[in-house]
Parts: sequence; C-alpha cells; structure tokens
Amino acid sequence: MDLQTLTSMNWGIMAPEFTVLGTALLLSLLDLFMPRQKSRRILGILSAAGIVLASVFLFLQFSHEPASLFHDMYRLDSFSKAFKLILLLGTGLILILAYDYKMDREEEYRGEFYYLLLTALLGGLIMASSADMITLFIGLELLSLSSYVMAGLRKRDKESNEASFKYVVTGGISTAITLFGMSYIFGLTGETNLYTIGNALQDTSILQNQFLIAFAFFITFAGLTFKIASAPFHMWAPDVYQGSPLPVTAFLSVVSKTAGFALILRFFLLVFSSAPGIKGDPLLFQVQPYLAFLAGATMIAGNLAALRQRNIKRLFAYSSIAQAGYILVPFVSVSAMLFETTWFYLLAYLFMNIGAFAVIQEVTAHSKTHDISGFAGLYRRSPWLAIAMTIFILSLAGIPATAGFIGKFGIFMNALGASQGHYVLAGILVGTTVISYFYYFNIIGQMFFRPEHQEGRLLHKKGLLLVTAVCAAATVILGILPGTALHFFYEQFQLTDFFQTMEQK
Amino acid sequence: MQNAWLIPLLPLLSFILLLLFGKKLKEASAYAGILLTFLSLVLSVIVMAGQWGGESYKAEGLWLNIGNHPVTMGFEINPLNALMLVVVSLVSFLVHLYSKGYMHGDDRFHVFFAYLGLFTFAMLGLVLSPNLLQVYIFWELVGLGSFLLIGYYYFKPEAKAAAKKAFIMTRIGDVGLFIGIILLFWQTGSFEYDEIFKAIGNKIISPDMITLTAILIFVGAVGKSGQLPLHTWLPDAMEGPTPVSALIHAATMVAAGVYLVASMYPLFEASAAAMTTVAVVGGITAVFAASIGLMQKDIKRVLAYSTVSQLGYMMLALGSGSYTAGIFHLMTHAFFKALLFLAAGSVIHAVHTQNIEEMGGLWNKLKVTAPLFLIGALSISGFPLFSGFFSKDEILMATYENGRYVLFTLALIAAFFTAFYMFRLFFMVFSGSPANHTQEVKESEISMKVPMLVLGLLAIVAGYLNTPWFGSFLEDYLSQGPVSFSTEEVHGPVWIPVLAVVLSLAGIALAYVMYGKKTLARDWLSRSFPSLSSLIYNKYYADEIYQATVVRGTTVFSYFWSYVDRYLVEAAVNGTAGLVHWIGKKGSEFHNGQVQRFGAIALAGLVLLLLIFAVTGGYFS
Repeated sequence: MDLQTLTSMNWGIMAPEFTVLGTALLLSLLDLFMPRQKSRRILGILSAAGIVLASVFLFLQFSHEPASLFHDMYRLDSFSKAFKLILLLGTGLILILAYDYKMDREEEYRGEFYYLLLTALLGGLIMASSADMITLFIGLELLSLSSYVMAGLRKRDKESNEASFKYVVTGGISTAITLFGMSYIFGLTGETNLYTIGNALQDTSILQNQFLIAFAFFITFAGLTFKIASAPFHMWAPDVYQGSPLPVTAFLSVVSKTAGFALILRFFLLVFSSAPGIKGDPLLFQVQPYLAFLAGATMIAGNLAALRQRNIKRLFAYSSIAQAGYILVPFVSVSAMLFETTWFYLLAYLFMNIGAFAVIQEVTAHSKTHDISGFAGLYRRSPWLAIAMTIFILSLAGIPATAGFIGKFGIFMNALGASQGHYVLAGILVGTTVISYFYYFNIIGQMFFRPEHQEGRLLHKKGLLLVTAVCAAATVILGILPGTALHFFYEQFQLTDFFQTMEQK
Repeated sequence: MQNAWLIPLLPLLSFILLLLFGKKLKEASAYAGILLTFLSLVLSVIVMAGQWGGESYKAEGLWLNIGNHPVTMGFEINPLNALMLVVVSLVSFLVHLYSKGYMHGDDRFHVFFAYLGLFTFAMLGLVLSPNLLQVYIFWELVGLGSFLLIGYYYFKPEAKAAAKKAFIMTRIGDVGLFIGIILLFWQTGSFEYDEIFKAIGNKIISPDMITLTAILIFVGAVGKSGQLPLHTWLPDAMEGPTPVSALIHAATMVAAGVYLVASMYPLFEASAAAMTTVAVVGGITAVFAASIGLMQKDIKRVLAYSTVSQLGYMMLALGSGSYTAGIFHLMTHAFFKALLFLAAGSVIHAVHTQNIEEMGGLWNKLKVTAPLFLIGALSISGFPLFSGFFSKDEILMATYENGRYVLFTLALIAAFFTAFYMFRLFFMVFSGSPANHTQEVKESEISMKVPMLVLGLLAIVAGYLNTPWFGSFLEDYLSQGPVSFSTEEVHGPVWIPVLAVVLSLAGIALAYVMYGKKTLARDWLSRSFPSLSSLIYNKYYADEIYQATVVRGTTVFSYFWSYVDRYLVEAAVNGTAGLVHWIGKKGSEFHNGQVQRFGAIALAGLVLLLLIFAVTGGYFS
C-alpha cells in the first residue's frame, strides 16, 4: 500500500475519532508543558470542546452513505452511528462531572483525568465501528487500559489504588480469555474480518467442528462479560466502582458498558449469525438457554447483593450489574427488535445512571461519606436535588412515566415475543425488579423520610446541576414520549446495512 | 365527551400547583385541591349523563411502534368507566373536603393535598385508559400514590413499613398482570380492549392461553384488591391518615382490581376455569376476612378486613357470571365504606384513639357522626332498603343461580359475620357508658360533616339503581357498553333475600345482646318492669347459649383464621423475604474482595458453562 492509496482513502468517516484523538494528544502535550501550579481546569474545557466537535462530525455523518475502510475493517454504518451517539453523549456528561469533581491532594493530576477520558472514549468509538477482530481488540484494550489508570487516579488514596489493581488483574484475565476464544475462531476460519468469518463458518467442512465453534462462542462471550460487568465476570465491579473517583465510576458503569454491548452485538451477530449449531439448529438459537442462564444469574446476583449494601457507590455497582443482566435479555432472545430495544435501554440507562451519579457526587462531596445515610433528609436540604434523584431511582426501578419503564417494557416484549419465548427469564426479570425496589426505595426513604444529619446547604456546583437537570428532563421525556427517541432511531439508523458488506469507497 | 381527558388532568394540576406553591399557600392548599376535584366531578357527571343511551367514545393517538404494531395512548368512555369516573371523582372530592377539617394543623398540610391530587389523577387515568398498557402504567402510578399516602406519617415506623408493604405486595400481583398483558399482546397483536375482545371472539387465541392470561391478569387484581393470599398489606395500610383509608380502601385503589376484571370480562367469560378461580378466591376471601374482622380491636382494622371481605363479594359476583352485581356492589360499597371510614375518622378525631375498647357512649356526643355511621353499618350489613341490601342480594342470587352452592353458603356465612362485626363495632363505640378519658368530645367541623352527609344519602339511595322492584337501571345502562353480558333477569328463589335478611338481623341481634345490651341498663329494665325479669333471665340464658355455642364457635373460628393468616400466610410471605435477604447476605459475604476469587469464579463459571453445554449438547454421547 503506497502513500497514494493511503491518502486517497475516505478518512473522513473517521472524523469523530480523529477529533477525539487529536484533542487527547493536544491535551497531553499541554499538560506536560503547563507550569505545575497552573490550574488544569482549562484542559477540561478544551476536552469538552473536542467532544462537541466530534459530535458535530457524527451528526454530519448521519446522512452519510454507509461506508467502510480497509475492506470492512472499519465501518461507518447505522449501528456504529447509533452507538457512537450514546458514547459521545455519555462521555460529554461525565466530563462535566469530572470538571466539578474535587481532587483534593491529587489536584495536579486533573489534566490526566481529561485526556484519559478521551482515550477511553476513543477506544469505545473504535469498538463501535470495527468489524475486524484486530481493530475490535485494539479498541477494547485502549478503553480498558485508559480505564485502569483512571480508576487509580487518586494515587494517594488506598481504595483507589486497590480499585486500579483489581481492575488490571481481572481485566488481564478477561483479556486472556477473550483472546483465547478469538484464537479458536481464527484457527477455524483463518480470517479476522467478521463478515468473512461469518461466511467461512457456513462452510460444510467446518461442520465437524461444531463443538469447537460453540466453545469459541462461550469462551469469547465469557471474556467479554468483563466489559459489561455481567456473570461470570462481574465480581470486580463492586470493588472497582467503590474505589474509583466518582466520575470514573459513572464512566465505567455507562460508557464502558455501552461500548461493551456494542462489541458483543456486533461480534456475535456477525460471526455466528449463520453458524451451524449441534444437530442442525442454528447456533444462535442453541446457545440461548445458556445465555439466558447467565443473564438470569446476573440479575439475581446483582439485585440480591445490592440489598445488603450501605455504601452508595457499591450499591450502584450491584445495581449496574443487575442492569447489565436486563440489557442482555434482547441479545439472548435475538428477536426482531433487538437493536432498538438495546439502544433505547442504553440511552435511558445513560440518563438515569449519570443523573444519579451527579446527585451522588453532589451529596457525597458535602457529607464526606459514602454511606447511604448521607442522603438522609436531602429533601429538606435541597428539594429539587431530591426530586431529581427520585426520578432517576424510579427510572432505574422501572416505574412508569420514566425512561426506565419503557426500556424494561421493551426488554420484556423481546423476551416474550421471540420465536422461543423466554418465560422463565421474563419471570426472573420481573421478580428481581421487585427485589430491587427494596434497595432503591431505601434511598428514597432516606431522602424524604429521615431527618437530616448534616447542617447547611449543598454546594450546588453549576455543572452538576446542569447534568442533573438534563438527565432528569431526558428521563421523564423519554418515559412519557418514548416515540421521540424511537422515531429518531428509525429515521436515522436503517439497520439493514448491519449485515451488508461494503466495498471500499 | 371529547374533553373527558380533562378529568384526570385537573387533579394532576392540583398536584403540580401544590408541589410548586404549596408552601406559600399553607392551608389554603385545600381550596385548590377541592376546587379542581370538584371540576373533575362535574365533568364526570356530564360525561356519565351523556352515556345514558349515548355512544361509547374513544380518542387516541400513536404513541410508539413495537415492530409493526402501533401502540396508542388515549382515552375511552363507555358506560362502565363513566360510572367509575363519577364514583372515583365523587369520593375523591368528598375526601378532599373532609381532609380540610381532618388534617387541620398538620405541618405538611399542602403535601397531603398534593399526594391526594396525584393519587386521584392516577386512578382517573386508569379508569379512562382504552388499552391494557396504559392501564398498567396508571396502575403502577396508583401504587406509587398509595405508597406516598399510606406512608404520610413517615415518622411512625409502622406507617413506613405499611407503605413499603403495600407497594411491594401489590407489585407481586403486578408481575402476573404485566406478563399477562404482554402475552395477550403477542397473541392478539394489540393492547386495545376491543381488539383483544375481537380476537377472543374470533377464537384466534387458544383456550389454554385464554385461561392462562386471564388468571395472570387476575393475579394482578388479587394484589390490588387485597384478595387472599395477597391481602395482608390492606389492614396494615390503615396506618395512613383516615381520609386516605376512605379514598384508597373504599372507592379507588382496591376497587381497581375489580374494575380490571370487569373491563376484561370477555376474556374471563371465555374460560370457565378462570371464572371459577375468580369466584372461589372471592368467596373464600369474603368469609375469611369477615371472620378475622370479628375480633379486631382497632376501629380501622375492622373496617379494613371488612373491605377485604366485601371485595371478595365483588369477585365472587364477577366469577359467578354476574357482571352487574359485581359493579353494583362496587358502587354501593364505595359509598357506604367511604362513609364508614369518614365516620370512623370523625370518631378518632373526637376521642384520639383507635381502640374500640376505650370508646363508648358516643351516641349522644357525636350527634351527626353516630346516625351516619349507623346508616353505613346498616347498609353494609344488608339491612333491608339500604343500598347494601340490594347489591348483596344480587350477588347471593347470582352465586346460587350459578350452581356454586358451597360458595353460596360461604357468602351467607360472611353476610352473618359482616352484620355481627359491624354492629359489635357500632355498639362498642356509640352505646354504653362513656369511657373515662372522653371528657371533651366535640363533633367535627362542618367540612367534615358535609361529605359524610352526602355519602350517607348515597349509601341509602344508591341501592335503588338496580332493584327487583323499581327496575334495573344500572343493568340497562351497563349493557350498552362494549362488554356484552347476559341481561336476563336473575330470578332466584324468594327465600334467598329472606334468608339473607334473617342472617343479617341475627348478626345485628347477636351483637346487640353481647355488646349493646350491657349498656341499655339492664337494671333499669328490671326495676321498671319487674314482671319482665324472667324474660331478662331468659335473655341472659340465650346469651349463655350464644356464648357457649355460636360465640365460642365463631371465636375459635376467628382465632383459627387469624392464626392461619398470621402464621401461615404472613410467614410464607415473610419467609420469602427473609430468604431473599439471607441469600443477599451470604452473597455479599462470599464477595470477600480477593482478586483471586474473582478470577476463580469467572473461570469456574466458564468451565461449568462449557461442561453443561457439552453434556446437554451431546458431546459425550
């Protein structure tokens, strides 16, 4: 490949990625050469500008024809656009949280925070766009490595160190498992491109290796559950979420998870969509009971363990595990509405979870404790914050008139409407949802029904209030008029191009 | 009629206004709530007037698409829900009015009225819904509203626990409802009532599926309407302020379950098994709850068990194929039970206790409340010419005609119990010597009296809407609706109403002998009419017989059931909750934070998964 072909390629389809990359590089240089005492806050504003610019590019791409680079290694299709939208939006909101986050003794590392957030985002964007095992893996690792550092950003804090360490170790194990699974796939087909692998797996000569294909499926899947924090790779989440700085926790539970789901959907649907299972049935149907078992186990483990938590970040870690279990359901049941349901739930989850984290950050910064008693009497100290938090919690619990209800409703429709109805899974979903009321309502009870321990008003950082307001409004609007988001989805993203291979333009 | 959507929005407006400006308005908040619910009531009456002989009306707009199936939101007016609109908005309006006096002086006066507005909005929205999904959404909001209202006195731990319990117990029922609704959707492709009924008419759904979905929907109704075994939240919910009890436990939330079964009636009718389930659960609940009511000492708990029991009657009626009787009783019950609760609230307001053993002799002190309470008690006991008499008769008749003789007998026993516990309550509270501490008993203020007077009037006249003597207006009216049911006159044997009256009188008489007689100054009788002493002796003798047989029997029976309730039903529920907590505890202990364990679990999970797959997939065979 000479320089001419390289320059003639349609690099424009990577415009958002380049913007994020460029901003991250610029920030790291600025951080290096800025005087030590100078406040790094300006870098936060710059990185926000980078994300806005990347989002503008993404919006311009909405009308763009589906295109690809390097023979479908890197794709600009509806799927990638839909997920990038969530990733950029989520990172943008979290950046505001990071801007208002008090670093105390680690104030000098604030700059690193911003550009690591950007490189992590870049990894996520690559994951959403790639259709090749190599680029997928690069994206995955870029996201993971940046997150490892971010988790340990408060380097003088023991918990933060512990979080980072545990994250690296479990992450390493999961990467090994993922790669192990992928190596089977490569070994069977000799290809790395997902479309070519998909075709190769239909080859009759491969039929004698049915079990290997299925094993490859399970091993890769188990490795990837690390990113979405679902069973069997979910146990790191509570410790890491608890120890990480709060905006990082929000990032891990929303953006990192969304990227993980994008990867899982893209990878498994493309590679295994027409792979043969044991004795004739398509593999994707055959693995459903096992995946359903994992999803159900995730919901049960997350919700039951959450019941005992007093630490609000830990509680949200378990809640986030449980939510991962819910979001897996459409993938498990592979119904016609898989994409829009998953996308909608992730969007709803973005608003309700980041919103909740914004309130948590505001409250814990004031109360200096992560115990849920820090929320006691919040309604009297700051009624609007308490009402916003109530909206987020009701939404997480799936109460009507919130986005979470519509999301759960869609998931439920998937579970019961698929060709094989997943009645047991649907039952577990609703049953564990009822269990989740106990811990969710406990927080509401603290805010409204308990006398306050702390005196004085909250700090009311402007950025946090903005995030809270935006998220609360979006949660309610998506709950009452879900058609707006779904209509947008159908208008902008014709997912017919998902399975279509493209020649390089 | 096109503007019927305003009916639920007015209380919502009240909620929003009071949330925003309540703090400034203070007690003037009541006027906003009262005025807006009054407007709702006026509109509801207009809508219902338009329904006499008018057409059903439906307006809806696309909400979202699920695959190829459009899901709409809108509102619908038909005879059944127009009637419900009037009942709900009327009771809500009266409760608003009553609360103005009852809650006077409460710190969070405006919050209470805001919650009332939210709850009324949810309930009216539920009634207006033209499709099951919308019903479900409002159904949940009703649950949320009740959570706030029951837990209003949040500083009382019991109230907090009761609010939680009410919310979560009813949610257990909602699980069934939600699954049922979505199964129906996938079977019929729609959430709309009429589409679903059409699909059932065209036999698109298999009979097994009909039975399954009907029973799942009924499970939702069981939770909301406090039927066995999900009834335990209802008596506990008495921890809420008394006007709340009148609103939630008489006319609205608990009636929602009955309303749901009634509005999905074609589905139930299509399955004999579902109808039997409804009838049996209803019948057993009726007698079970009534027997527990016999021994309660808290005035509101007696009424709570009575509500559970009366709801059982309604379910029994619906399950026995008598749509009209079920709705009729729903309506009359809404009036007389709201009356009883408000009157009970007035009593509590006056004497500041809920324990009936500490009350007595209030007849002369509460000159308005006492006769009104009597009207309510007579009505619920099925005393002739009061509304409960007609509606209960119709239920008994329908059950008998349906050939369910065991349930019929249970219903008769429940009728006897009802009369007994109501009058036990009445005599203990209003007759006898005044208890010591009731020195300064004052009758309630005017805003509390007016609602009771209105309800008292309705508790008498509502029965004449559907009588064997003056014609069955209600039945004619309901039969115009989309839900078709047989309108042939139920001609049960004449002995049924007679027997019912006799049982009701026997219950009242027994209560009188046991609790009223003591107070009617036996001395006075024997002194004035010495010749009657033998009669008195005989009466005493009768009392002894009663004591030995009926009373002891019922006591044992009642204790037995309250023990079953406490130790079996509650234990099962608490046991499940305990188990869940235990697993949660073990789960978090298991999570000891060691990274090695994380990795081990992940790997073990993966290996197990592969092994199971290999075995079940047949790798080793």
